[in-house]
Amino acid sequence: MNRRSLLPALGLALLLAGCASTTGPVDLATVHSVAPPVPGGIAVGKAAVPTPAAPSPSCGDPTASLRPPAVMPTPGQMPAGSTMAKIQQRGFLVAGVDQNTDLFGYRNPADNKLEGFDIDMVRDVAQAIFGDPNKVVYKAISSAQRIPSLEAGSIDLVARTFTITCDRIKQVAFSTVYFQASRQVLVPLDSSVKSFADLAHKRVCATTGSDSLGQAQGTANAPVPVAVNDWSDCLVMLQQGEVDAVSTDNTILAGMVAQDPNTKIVGDSLAAEPYGIGIPKANQDFVSFVNGVLQEVRSNGSWVTSYQTWVKDRLGPTPAPPQPTYSN
Amino acid sequence: MSIASGQQAVQRPAGPPALGGAAMPTAAPPADLAAGLRRTANTTPGRLSIAMMGLVVLSLLTGVIGLASFTGRSNTIADLLTHREPVSTAAQQIYRSLSDADATAADAFLTSAVMPATLRARYQTDIAQAGSALAVAATDSAGVGAATAPLAQLSTGIPVYTGLVERASANNALGYPIGSAYLREADSLMTSTLLPAAQTLYAIDTQRLVDAQDSATSFPWFPALLGVALLVVLIITQRFVRRRTNRVVNVGLLVATIGVIVAMLWSTTAIVLETVHVADGRSSGSDPGATLAQIRTKALQARTDEMLTLVARGGADYTKQYNGFVTDIAGTDGSGGLLAQVHANSSDDTTTRQIEDATTAAKSWFDLHKKAVTANSAGDYPTAVAITLGSGQASQGNEAAAFDRVDSALEQAIGQARVDFANQTGTAQTWLTALPIGVLVLLVAAAAGASIGIWQRLREYR
Repeated sequence: MNRRSLLPALGLALLLAGCASTTGPVDLATVHSVAPPVPGGIAVGKAAVPTPAAPSPSCGDPTASLRPPAVMPTPGQMPAGSTMAKIQQRGFLVAGVDQNTDLFGYRNPADNKLEGFDIDMVRDVAQAIFGDPNKVVYKAISSAQRIPSLEAGSIDLVARTFTITCDRIKQVAFSTVYFQASRQVLVPLDSSVKSFADLAHKRVCATTGSDSLGQAQGTANAPVPVAVNDWSDCLVMLQQGEVDAVSTDNTILAGMVAQDPNTKIVGDSLAAEPYGIGIPKANQDFVSFVNGVLQEVRSNGSWVTSYQTWVKDRLGPTPAPPQPTYSN
Repeated sequence: MSIASGQQAVQRPAGPPALGGAAMPTAAPPADLAAGLRRTANTTPGRLSIAMMGLVVLSLLTGVIGLASFTGRSNTIADLLTHREPVSTAAQQIYRSLSDADATAADAFLTSAVMPATLRARYQTDIAQAGSALAVAATDSAGVGAATAPLAQLSTGIPVYTGLVERASANNALGYPIGSAYLREADSLMTSTLLPAAQTLYAIDTQRLVDAQDSATSFPWFPALLGVALLVVLIITQRFVRRRTNRVVNVGLLVATIGVIVAMLWSTTAIVLETVHVADGRSSGSDPGATLAQIRTKALQARTDEMLTLVARGGADYTKQYNGFVTDIAGTDGSGGLLAQVHANSSDDTTTRQIEDATTAAKSWFDLHKKAVTANSAGDYPTAVAITLGSGQASQGNEAAAFDRVDSALEQAIGQARVDFANQTGTAQTWLTALPIGVLVLLVAAAAGASIGIWQRLREYR
């Protein structure tokens, strides 16, 4: 090749390089959709209900508990060797509670104190042991932590919208019923959902370890379960439009309506949800002591006071306190 | 002279092809060219011509390669100063500001229903700082594919995060417990998406800094080998010229040799000094700076965890994380860990003093934390909160103040490390300022010297 032919060849190559350029406009990183923020520990669908809800074998009446002692010990003078004496020795009661559920157990942002119906029950127990309702160390636990914490013995009792069921009494002991709740559904004001039947294929929120999701799965045309750590996470998801409904006890739902006037409670009151105070199975003496405390709470008017303070505005006129049933 | 004239006789026919070969290299077929060169190489003037051309080409090549190599090196150092270090620091700043914003939000949640003015100001500054550091980090990510995803996560996630915090704050002000649920959601977004993205970005930018430092301290093999080869050819040529011409000194070749030696001495000195300073900037600046930044982040995370332990009233996970961070920072006995490591490696007196301040403050922080834990496990939650937030009486101790002392000592030490980095790297750059042009000029001079020197000898054969 000589120099004369080199130059045009070079020019041609340059020209071709120019024609072959297929560079488009610069990518502007257009966003078409965005994943919404979700609460930590969320699980959706099958992952939300790890164990398929097998129908619990009948266990008779799970709410039947131990009869209170004939004479309640004087506060500050617990019988030697009893569970209560150990608690008295320690100087404070350790209670597993919720700090996120309005009306039952929540932290008042104004003063950092825990308040609610469940908290009142804990304070009554502390009053009976120490003569001082403030001698309590509260441990905020999630629904899923209730049974493991009791089994580990790291807490004395759980007062956290804890429904007494046949499954649970195999693992922990319960006091007598101190509140009778019922299952309902929370939806936005403009929702077309009127009953449980309308929830088919909708996203329904409940907490991990609560009994709401398993039961929801039992229905025909099952909804899509969404499990989170705390009930307040469910209201967050509802407000953010990430779930269509929250299915749980009317007590918890009432607390949500109290925080968001754009929601309503619908559906017939389904399955009764009797709340009891959970206690480690080994501490039978403490179960019977707590039942004695609850008996006093029912009879001396403090149950009515708690009801009126926390839930009357939301759940209607004050009923009679739930009557205890005893197994012995 | 008889040998010379004998060769002169042979040279006459051989001369023109050599000249012709030089004038029209493309015209001769390769076989003819090789044969011509072989004939030329057998004569003294032919050898001198080849040596002259070789020296000129080699000198100019060395000069150009030197210019390119040293200019590149100088640019790398300028890039270290103006891009790599600032961007890496900006990436670290994003991580730190976001962590601090998250910690401040948790702090405000513990304090009262309405975010106190000081905490609100701190939170807002953190978010603004993270945003502007993100802008710095983003300007320099072109062509770095791995940085695209974390940058997108950060720039789309930060507005969502602030939205959640404001919603939490509004609910909190109304006394609704759902405020804490929004705060938890914000914290979850922060710890599961934003902080890992910031961490990835920091890792990428730090690697780019280290790579640039490696390239600025590497040995310039190519120009060095060319220089040595040039010097060897010059020496051989001079010995040849001296044998064939009986002249001890050829001024042109001598000038060329001196030029090459000066260029080599100059570049060796400059490169050695430059390398030493870049390495110093790394060992006394960017490396301790990175460790200090790591300590500062871990301290902040430990602080967040100890507050979340109180927010969550229990939270064994947070306690475990706290203990892990504290062990990383100061070891199991409070005198080891990263602080001891960075202290042992510190060569700057100011930095060393600041690290000592941080270590002392960290000790008192950790001691106060133990006091708060003791109070909490004895059932005295209000005292635990008072110690941790420093909101109680002076006698109770103030963890917040102790933590702030740790943080500001570390911040100053990081600032000092940055100054050291900039000083050392800046000095390194000055050693290279005139070198590229200087080397080129010297080697052009060498080429000129060699050609003039040999040309004078060649003329004698006419």
